[in-house]
Amino acid sequence: MTDMVRSEAGLGAAAGTNGSRSRSVLGARIVFLLAFLVAWQGAVALGLANPAFIATPVGVARSLLHLIVGGKLLPNLATTLLEILLSFVASVIFGVASAIVLDRSEWLNRTLSPFLTAFNSMPRIALGPLFILWFGIGIMSKAVLAFSLGYFIILLSTLGGLKNVDRDLLLMSRLFGASQARLFWHVRLPWALPGVFAGLRLSLIYCSAGAVIGEMIAAQSGLGLLVQSYSGRFDVAGVMALILVVAVMVMALTSLMDLCERRLLAWSKGSTDVPG
Amino acid sequence: MTSEATVGTPGWTVEAPDIRVRGVRVHFGTSRHVLTGVDLDVASGEFIALIGASGCGKTTLLNVIAGLVPAAEGTVMIRDRPPAAGRSDICYILARDALLPWRTVLSNVAYGMELSGVGRAERERRARVYLERVGLRDVADFFPSRLSQGMRQRASLARAFAVERSLYLMDEPFSALDSQTKLLLHDQLLSLWESSHATVVFVTHDIGEAITLSDRVLVMSRRGAGVVEQIHVDLPRPRSAEALQADERYHDLYRLAWTALRASTA
Repeated sequence: MTDMVRSEAGLGAAAGTNGSRSRSVLGARIVFLLAFLVAWQGAVALGLANPAFIATPVGVARSLLHLIVGGKLLPNLATTLLEILLSFVASVIFGVASAIVLDRSEWLNRTLSPFLTAFNSMPRIALGPLFILWFGIGIMSKAVLAFSLGYFIILLSTLGGLKNVDRDLLLMSRLFGASQARLFWHVRLPWALPGVFAGLRLSLIYCSAGAVIGEMIAAQSGLGLLVQSYSGRFDVAGVMALILVVAVMVMALTSLMDLCERRLLAWSKGSTDVPG
Repeated sequence: MTSEATVGTPGWTVEAPDIRVRGVRVHFGTSRHVLTGVDLDVASGEFIALIGASGCGKTTLLNVIAGLVPAAEGTVMIRDRPPAAGRSDICYILARDALLPWRTVLSNVAYGMELSGVGRAERERRARVYLERVGLRDVADFFPSRLSQGMRQRASLARAFAVERSLYLMDEPFSALDSQTKLLLHDQLLSLWESSHATVVFVTHDIGEAITLSDRVLVMSRRGAGVVEQIHVDLPRPRSAEALQADERYHDLYRLAWTALRASTA
């Protein structure tokens, strides 16, 4: 019996990632990055491209060093990071909460859905100047702009997850005597979780874009403000160095989220017959 | 061996039954009648199988007994109380295993007990006992996605029997399994049931399964008129699904049920 159990289970088990393969992927990535940087620098050195337009990797590195040493990077980075975190946390809290309310009340969902669609269809970036008019030149206006982008992503992905919950799981739980609260906690919420995480990742990217673009419109501090002033001076290497900083910051935040996801969604890895 | 009873004086009633169904009518909408007057009794500790062509209303009847579908007319009493979804003496097993994909097998088996208010230590202990009994001890910490269909259904059986209820309603729980796996599951269900002393109503379209498992096979009419024939399964217990395949009497009963089913759909 146990042998059979083992072999049956073996069939279902995913072929795990093996160490040598992941090491070769890492190697290939480094080679790709180096090739890209060498081609870039080489194109400028050979006179194929104008460094005034595309800068050079060395120039970008130098700008980055200047930013750090000159003490400009950290305070501006802190402002942008604060805006991103504020808007992201608010997006998660309000997005998940509204999704739960809209899932529980079909009437409210049907009443509000055209308004939500309308608001979500607006180019929020174009509203940036208005947000600055309404919420001032400080971090609040950027957080609101970023929130207006991030909120809907979380709302829609969470609502999608809650709506397509497996009816048999609900019925089974109800037949074992589950209350509405337990149905939510034990079935609806875990079912929606993969969708929530997909939304979190996207929402973080949009919140970052919202914050930086908001700073580019008008701000007292922030990476976007620096981008704006460097672009005005045609300092291409400086702009690229700042964009690199934003990208690395968002990647770092995303990998933090991946860590949470791997813990919470361990059950959905390496299988094909689960929701997702 | 068939019942001598005719429609109108049902021979499928018993004294002081666990389940008493009288004159139950169910219709969806105004025109489609699913059940048109069903009478049925099930004795305490009895295992009955409901068979019939698809669309004969056997699952609907089971859902009426479970309290999931209201009867437009007629009464259903389970131990002198009307049924209700989530009643603490009834356990319903769905056609799909309905394991929670985010819980391990062990935690899935404990889930039914958790919802029934069994304490943490006790439910873990009992979950392990029942996993052992269905031969899934070695995969207790696996997520369901790693199990085969048969193993998932065994986990579902363990979850159901671990709550130790007195009435089990089963809606074609093995219909998605291949015939070999089915036989294994039949033996496991029989062994779980024999030690539980529970009453079972088992809906299936598989005649062999009905005879292997039950004390009585009730054949339902295609037109939703309820039970039209019954077959007493006088095979000795404990039974082995595999050994029955070579049993003369089993095949006689199979032919009998087959004829009755054919007659019911004519």
